[in-house]
Amino acid sequence: MAEKTESSRVAIPSFSGKGKLWIGLLVVLMAAGLAAWGYQLTMGLIATGMRNVFSWGLYIMMFVLFVGLSAGGLIISSAPKFFHSHRYEGFARLGVLVSLACIIVAGLLILPDIGRPGRIYQFFTSPDLRSPMVWDFGVVLLYGLLNLWYLWLLTRRDLAARGSSLALGVKDTEAGRERDRTLMFWTAAVALPTAVALHSVTGWIFATQIGRGDWFSPLVAPVFIAKALVSGLGLLLIVSVLADRYTNFEVDREELTSLGKILGIFLAFHVVYLLAAERLPHAWADHFEFWAIMSNFLIGDSVYFWLWTVVGGAVPLAMLALPSLRKRVSVIFTASVLAVVGTMFEGIRLVFTGYEVANIDSAPGISLGGEYTGITTNIWATAGAYTPTVVEIAVTLGIIAFGALIVTLGLKYVPIQRVDAEPSYAADGGKQDQ
Amino acid sequence: MTNYGLVIDQERCIGCQACAVSCKQENNVPMGQFWNRVLTEGGEKMDTPSGGYPEDGGSGSLDMQYQPTACQHCENAPCVKVCPVNATYTRDDGIVEIDYDKCIGCRYCMAACPYNARVFNWDEPEHMPEGGTGDVEERPQGVVEKCTFCSHRVDEGLDPACVVNCPADARIFGDLDDESSTVSKYIDKYETDQLLEDRGTDPKTHYISGEMSPGRPQTSDKMESELDDVSPWSDGDDVPSDGDDSAGGESSGGHHSVSGDEVPRVPSVKSGGDD
Ligand code: SF4
Ligand code: SF4
Repeated sequence: MAEKTESSRVAIPSFSGKGKLWIGLLVVLMAAGLAAWGYQLTMGLIATGMRNVFSWGLYIMMFVLFVGLSAGGLIISSAPKFFHSHRYEGFARLGVLVSLACIIVAGLLILPDIGRPGRIYQFFTSPDLRSPMVWDFGVVLLYGLLNLWYLWLLTRRDLAARGSSLALGVKDTEAGRERDRTLMFWTAAVALPTAVALHSVTGWIFATQIGRGDWFSPLVAPVFIAKALVSGLGLLLIVSVLADRYTNFEVDREELTSLGKILGIFLAFHVVYLLAAERLPHAWADHFEFWAIMSNFLIGDSVYFWLWTVVGGAVPLAMLALPSLRKRVSVIFTASVLAVVGTMFEGIRLVFTGYEVANIDSAPGISLGGEYTGITTNIWATAGAYTPTVVEIAVTLGIIAFGALIVTLGLKYVPIQRVDAEPSYAADGGKQDQ
Repeated sequence: MTNYGLVIDQERCIGCQACAVSCKQENNVPMGQFWNRVLTEGGEKMDTPSGGYPEDGGSGSLDMQYQPTACQHCENAPCVKVCPVNATYTRDDGIVEIDYDKCIGCRYCMAACPYNARVFNWDEPEHMPEGGTGDVEERPQGVVEKCTFCSHRVDEGLDPACVVNCPADARIFGDLDDESSTVSKYIDKYETDQLLEDRGTDPKTHYISGEMSPGRPQTSDKMESELDDVSPWSDGDDVPSDGDDSAGGESSGGHHSVSGDEVPRVPSVKSGGDD
């Protein structure tokens, strides 16, 4: 590399034509999202596909997805630090950056879902500590700040060495780096339980509700953890491969393959084990003959179920299980995409199972407060139905584009890769070739 | 302590929808929304029975019952527990109510309520006539609303509008903590159920089925507890217990203490009962 004394480098030294095009695309999406949100604010939530029976939709489904996505990076960067290992060091900074972007996206997705966003401050002035939503609000906030602090901690000495103002006055000294390593250990020690809390509490928003079908299950929180591991690691791999391809960021092939293997293990635990654990008792209790129990156990019912288990579970698992396939970057990339898409559909399925069926469904049913757009023309319904509107999709894409912009700018302004390993790091032997 | 509850005698209910309509008009409920609905337990459609006609001359299996359904005012109300900003709360008298100035419109309470009792103002609420109806101020766009047991009437010593306007006397309102109240006596004496009892929400709305009760004893607009010297149990349920009831109801209707100059929207001088 051109730099002589610097021990780190940014992935994007300057934006090329393509890079500018990418930023342009993100800005357009964000502008469209903002316009759509403005429209929704003037019209009210009638502009969405949500109605009285099906009262949470795309925003909450994507909130759940992005909370999960925010897990991977932080865990991959903090778990090894906690055990004083330098494994996956090459992914640490990128991981935290991706986590930070995802949790910001998740938090922002709540705003358009709120009927009166101007009153959000009441979370501080009038909170009810019994509400899982208050717990989640707190833990999302904490997690976001933690990510921000961690990213800065990981890079501040390098930022200082580069003379970047983002170092906020911190000096690059050997003693300082030493102290930071201790701080990193303690941050990792706090980050891991915070991540567990984040995903459990988000699961408990649903799992505490006796009124909504399958939501009320003690398994929901552990499943959310598993989902977070799968989708979070999946996204980190996707972003790493893309960054490796389109920027100066370089991934260590060996570590990539090794993380692919871990993704396979997470998938197996999540889709095979937890799913079986969830389904078998129901299948057993509901059916009498052996084959009836087995077929009910093994064969699901809804499209979402199949999208999730086969496309998002079985297929990527098979891809990652075979060592010869796993070595190919394209295979890891595809498997990761499938895993993330599968998790997305799992979240969608969860919301559907809660709202599809009304507990009391006698005619004429429940007044909707407006008809289901394009489904019925009357205000009564005995079941829930939902399709997102263009407005919801535009707002969601706009917010996701903002997350992508954070990652892109991070690659430009934050030294995301260590170039010259320090002595203590070199001992690990993981990535000296860079 | 007072703990208000409602008994609905499904054997008396004739499915006339009067409670649903009087609720909508009394509480100024927007178009497209209902706080109180009269459901048909039976066939697929409203007012249709399940089962079949005895075509072969044997006994038929036709079966139908009406189930008026609104907020059940649960003792262990999940909607109260989930509300992140304390907008939904339980009053000291047991009524579950929403502070519309606090509600942020997150709709977590709608997810929490097993009875789908809550509605959300998805757009600017529309009223017919435009100025609105009844004695309650309209709620803005973006908040959740639901049955309040007509707390504005209860505060004045009046029974909820649906109770007063039920022509079958199938709705009885009163204090569940007072053993001598009609609601307590009926719950004690008749076979009563709460909806979705297995969810553990412990609703304060109880449904009588099986043997028919004598129904709401008083014909007054006033709550039972306000009728000190009248013993509703001593006279038959068809005997008006108090001659100047309607006058009393009207005068109290005139000086409702609900604030705001746009309420009450009903002219203070009117003929007939308070409906
Ligand atoms: S019926 Fe629903 S809205 Fe009413 S108190 Fe119970 S949970 Fe709350
Ligand atoms: S919608 Fe309003 S009342 Fe319901 S939980 Fe949210 S803030 Fe509370």
